[in-house]
Amino acid sequence: MVTLWWGVLGLLIAAYFALAGYDYGIGMLLRGFGGDQRRVLGSLGPFFLANEVWLVAAVGVLFGAFPHLEGRVFSGAYVLVVTLLLGLVTFTASVQLRGRNPGTRGALWSFGIGVGALVTAVSWGLFLGNLVRGVPSGDVLGLFTPYAVLWGAGFVALFALQGAVFLTVRAPEDLVGRARRLATSLVAPVLAFLVVATLWGLVELEGATWRGIPVVAVAFAALAVVFAGLRARRYRVALAAAMVLAAAPVALVGLLRFPVVYTSTVDTLTVDQAATSAETFKLLTAFGVPSIVLMIAVQWVTWRANRGRVDQRSPLHF
Amino acid sequence: MDPLPIARAQFATTTSFHFLFVLLTLGLVTVVAVMQTRSAFGRKPELLRMTRFWGKLYVINYALGIATGIVMEFQFGLTWTGLSAFAGDVFGAPLAIETLVAFFAESTFLGLWIFGFSKLNKWVHLALIWLVTLTAYASALFIMVANSFLQNPVGTHTENGVLKLDDFGALLANPALAAALPHLIGAAVMTGGFFVVGVSAYHFIKRTTEVEFFRRSMRIGVLAALLGSLLVINQGFAQFGLISGYQPDKFKQGPEVGASLGFMIMIGFACLLAALLGTALLHRDRITKVRPLLYLMVLAIPLPFLAAIAGWLVREFGRQPWLVYGKLRTADAIANVSGGEILFSFVAFTALFAVLAIADWVLMARVAKRGPEVDAPRPVALPVLSGV
Repeated sequence: MVTLWWGVLGLLIAAYFALAGYDYGIGMLLRGFGGDQRRVLGSLGPFFLANEVWLVAAVGVLFGAFPHLEGRVFSGAYVLVVTLLLGLVTFTASVQLRGRNPGTRGALWSFGIGVGALVTAVSWGLFLGNLVRGVPSGDVLGLFTPYAVLWGAGFVALFALQGAVFLTVRAPEDLVGRARRLATSLVAPVLAFLVVATLWGLVELEGATWRGIPVVAVAFAALAVVFAGLRARRYRVALAAAMVLAAAPVALVGLLRFPVVYTSTVDTLTVDQAATSAETFKLLTAFGVPSIVLMIAVQWVTWRANRGRVDQRSPLHF
Repeated sequence: MDPLPIARAQFATTTSFHFLFVLLTLGLVTVVAVMQTRSAFGRKPELLRMTRFWGKLYVINYALGIATGIVMEFQFGLTWTGLSAFAGDVFGAPLAIETLVAFFAESTFLGLWIFGFSKLNKWVHLALIWLVTLTAYASALFIMVANSFLQNPVGTHTENGVLKLDDFGALLANPALAAALPHLIGAAVMTGGFFVVGVSAYHFIKRTTEVEFFRRSMRIGVLAALLGSLLVINQGFAQFGLISGYQPDKFKQGPEVGASLGFMIMIGFACLLAALLGTALLHRDRITKVRPLLYLMVLAIPLPFLAAIAGWLVREFGRQPWLVYGKLRTADAIANVSGGEILFSFVAFTALFAVLAIADWVLMARVAKRGPEVDAPRPVALPVLSGV
């Protein structure tokens, strides 16, 4: 039961990165699109609210199924989680409010979208980098080691790549060329991040198990598919690979030291220590699993219904 | 620096902001669902336009509900880690169920509803707004289950210094939940009603040409205000007997509790009287013509919000010094985070929420003042807008 719910939690967080990652990528790239911003956001439109709530579901499951981990992980990296939330709130609110006042161009909201997305991406990178390396106990500056900063910068490139690849699939016809050039130019920085983080990790990380190796291999393979997909103009293949790539860091955090699921400079926590009681697991399985399956089905319908490009007839909202 | 008062202030501030938005979300979505239902069964074009106009205001309000809600969820792990260590096995369950069954579903369905205008089949689209409404109420239910557990930790036993769940049914049958949930739902419906009445009154003051539109809106708003205020007062008084059973000293926890309680009851009765008067004036639509009262209706929009915040303060201050009543003290639940770090987050969250809340309300006021859009053929060169 514990391992099953560890998998469910992993699925929810991985889906959040795979889906919301391109939201933040597009957010960071948005202001480069000048007068086309509304149509660019339109490519995101039907998915936006559905993407963001995967995080809410994931944190809910973290609290319900692994309350003893939840109590460690957020307070352990307090400052990073706070900056993450500040970025997220700014981003989410700005996207939703930007288009609500027709007649203005929404420049200030676009600024909020860009800054919010950037802060979110950097914070996620720093946060996950610290989880991979081991969270420093009671030391704010210790959260900003060079290794964690590398992850912060890497996530900016990663999400930006994902956003650009998403635009090659969904952006209006006249913007596809630009999105493709942007995406292609972002492959090199992401490759650099993967290579440096892997080599540095081999030296830096303690207690890592062999389980990290297949995850890293999948990440490299996914990036190769992104690149090949962009060259061959098989944009949907490239997008699927970019989503796998964005979910890979989550899998790494979850599997690297399994069954140890949290490492700080003073102690560790195993998955069994982190988990809730058997009665609560039964309850969560009864309510949670059907709900997750249903939501995947409903979101799948949303994706199918909006798989084409944004054109003259597509409704715009944000 | 002592982190405890700052962490408490941070939680109270975040929750207050969140509550201001979700209260109206809950009330307004109910009104919009009723309008869309009547529109689907009748043929009046006003009803569809009403659904769009009030739906637009609902969607703007929802944006900050979701943004503040994300922060709410993280706060337990940020500053109240003692709660998950002691009661996580119990308290985590309703919160997790809330996010999976309610919040997750609500946002997904709302996205479909927003983009489904004039694209989806009318009955499917109607089902979506009711699913959004239903999941919003489910959200309120499970959050109140979690909160009521903190007020009165039933269905559990302590084992090795940790609370264990015996019976989830007992959490649902908690006397701390029984009257509080309908009280809250009454408050939300009343808030939605006052909002719709106030905005409609503004347009009658401005001598709107959309008489039929706002006359119909006003009627639905007055009825919501009446039903809501009756429920809120009835269930409010029903709570006194129940509370004396599980938290006998609740109303003796300092002057803020007594003052908040008195203030809430006063506003509650004022709202009920206003709703009764409004209902009487519905006869022959007199309500749309009494100009001095129209001004009062606009001014009354904030009243239910103030009462709700006061009521929430009574419930939470009255539980102190306990976080889990009789089991875990608030002071023992605080995370091992320095006062400086919590001060940083408190200032940053408060400033950000204040800026966003004001921007959100300014946007709502502008859209409300502009009134409904006129149905006109769309120029081909312009993009298609979602309509809400």
